[in-house]
Amino acid sequence: MNNRNTLFFWFKLILKRDLALSFKKIATFLIPLVFFLIVISLFPLALGTENSFLSSLSPGVIWVAALLASLLAVESIFNEDFRDGTLDHFLLSGEPIFILVFAKVFAHWLVTGAPLLLASIISTFFLFLPGGLVLPLLVSLLIGTLLLSLLGAFGSALTIGKTAILSAVIVLPLSIPILILGVAIITSAINNQDYLSYLYFLGAMLAVGIPGLCLATVEAISINYD
Amino acid sequence: MGSPPFFFEWASRLLPWLFPISFLILMIGLVWGIGFAPSDYKQGEVYRIIFVHVPSAILGQSIYLMMAIFGSICLIWRAKLAGMFLRSAAPLGASFTLIALISGAVWGKPTWGTWWVWDARLTSTLILFFLYVGIIGLYSSIDNKQRGDRAASLISVVGVIIVPIIKKSVDWWQTLHQPSTFSLTSSPTMTADMYLPLLICVIGFYFIFVSLLCNSLRAEILTRERNTGWVRKYLNNKVSE
Repeated sequence: MNNRNTLFFWFKLILKRDLALSFKKIATFLIPLVFFLIVISLFPLALGTENSFLSSLSPGVIWVAALLASLLAVESIFNEDFRDGTLDHFLLSGEPIFILVFAKVFAHWLVTGAPLLLASIISTFFLFLPGGLVLPLLVSLLIGTLLLSLLGAFGSALTIGKTAILSAVIVLPLSIPILILGVAIITSAINNQDYLSYLYFLGAMLAVGIPGLCLATVEAISINYD
Repeated sequence: MGSPPFFFEWASRLLPWLFPISFLILMIGLVWGIGFAPSDYKQGEVYRIIFVHVPSAILGQSIYLMMAIFGSICLIWRAKLAGMFLRSAAPLGASFTLIALISGAVWGKPTWGTWWVWDARLTSTLILFFLYVGIIGLYSSIDNKQRGDRAASLISVVGVIIVPIIKKSVDWWQTLHQPSTFSLTSSPTMTADMYLPLLICVIGFYFIFVSLLCNSLRAEILTRERNTGWVRKYLNNKVSE
């Protein structure tokens, strides 16, 4: 079987394994989702329930909740594999670490990022976001959560074996541009302004982030295995 | 230059000169700026805090850049000294950024009427401070010194690539949410009487930074290399003196 030698084979293998593990434990993909909705519902409780007020806050609230939810789940990307030795075995196999990182980030996004998109639609009802804005919200969250998964993987690789709060302190300041641009997309859509330019910039960040942050993550992992 | 013993000796020889020189430059700049420079026609005497504020803000940013440069040296050539530089420079950079933030707030209260505004420049300085704290937290949580060095190098290199994006996005965020209420750039252009002492203060702050850096690098080298022959010899000589 010569298809064992292709990188795509390894990509599929790791992806399948990670997805199987996540769906075995329902907590890994349900907890971030519920966390997201809890954070969303905290805001009306804290700030009052006036419709127009909430709908003006909703882009920021949804984005902050998405940021926190995807960062909380990020600790699991490498830590479990590090503890049970799977990571050591993969590194010993001689396959490029790049493909491991790539598959793991994608699996993490499928398990935590993609459900957030769905939950964000529910949250628009909670926060009275005008109906026509669902498309910009979803597109911005689609690119944004991918970027957050990449950044989170980098942070969690840097802090393998350490507390999750440390990786949050490192990653959160770096994710500020994603937050600002994501909110800018929705706010300019609310004001009937052109939001495509912000979207293009976010997309450009993703295009640079996929190779760049994956490489940085590879380097961060190999620091632990000198 | 890259070997710790060589740098240690070089720094030890330079330090007795560096500290007095930097204090002298700083004294000239501060006394001139605070005592003799003309007062601002709009802000009165309050503006004199810029002789501390501006140099520390400049240093806070340039130390981050230096850390990224030394970080890439540490990652590429595995230079030990570059990693030690990172460890010694990060707390200094964080302190200078904090001084800039606090002195800015002290200046802002009488001038703007508030301690803090969400101005683009203030916000990016605050984020810079958070980045410093993240780096310090990262390397101090890793027991293995070499790994800590490389992890801190990696985060500062990645950070310095992202910092321009952060700055740009903070600028956008400002224009999007509210017109910039106050801007440092719109203050009256300075006369030479104000500009020269400020320049001297900036140079003095750089000198102070280099002196403090050499000092803490020496301590770092001694702790890290304490099991090597030359440190034992050095310490024995110190004791017998």
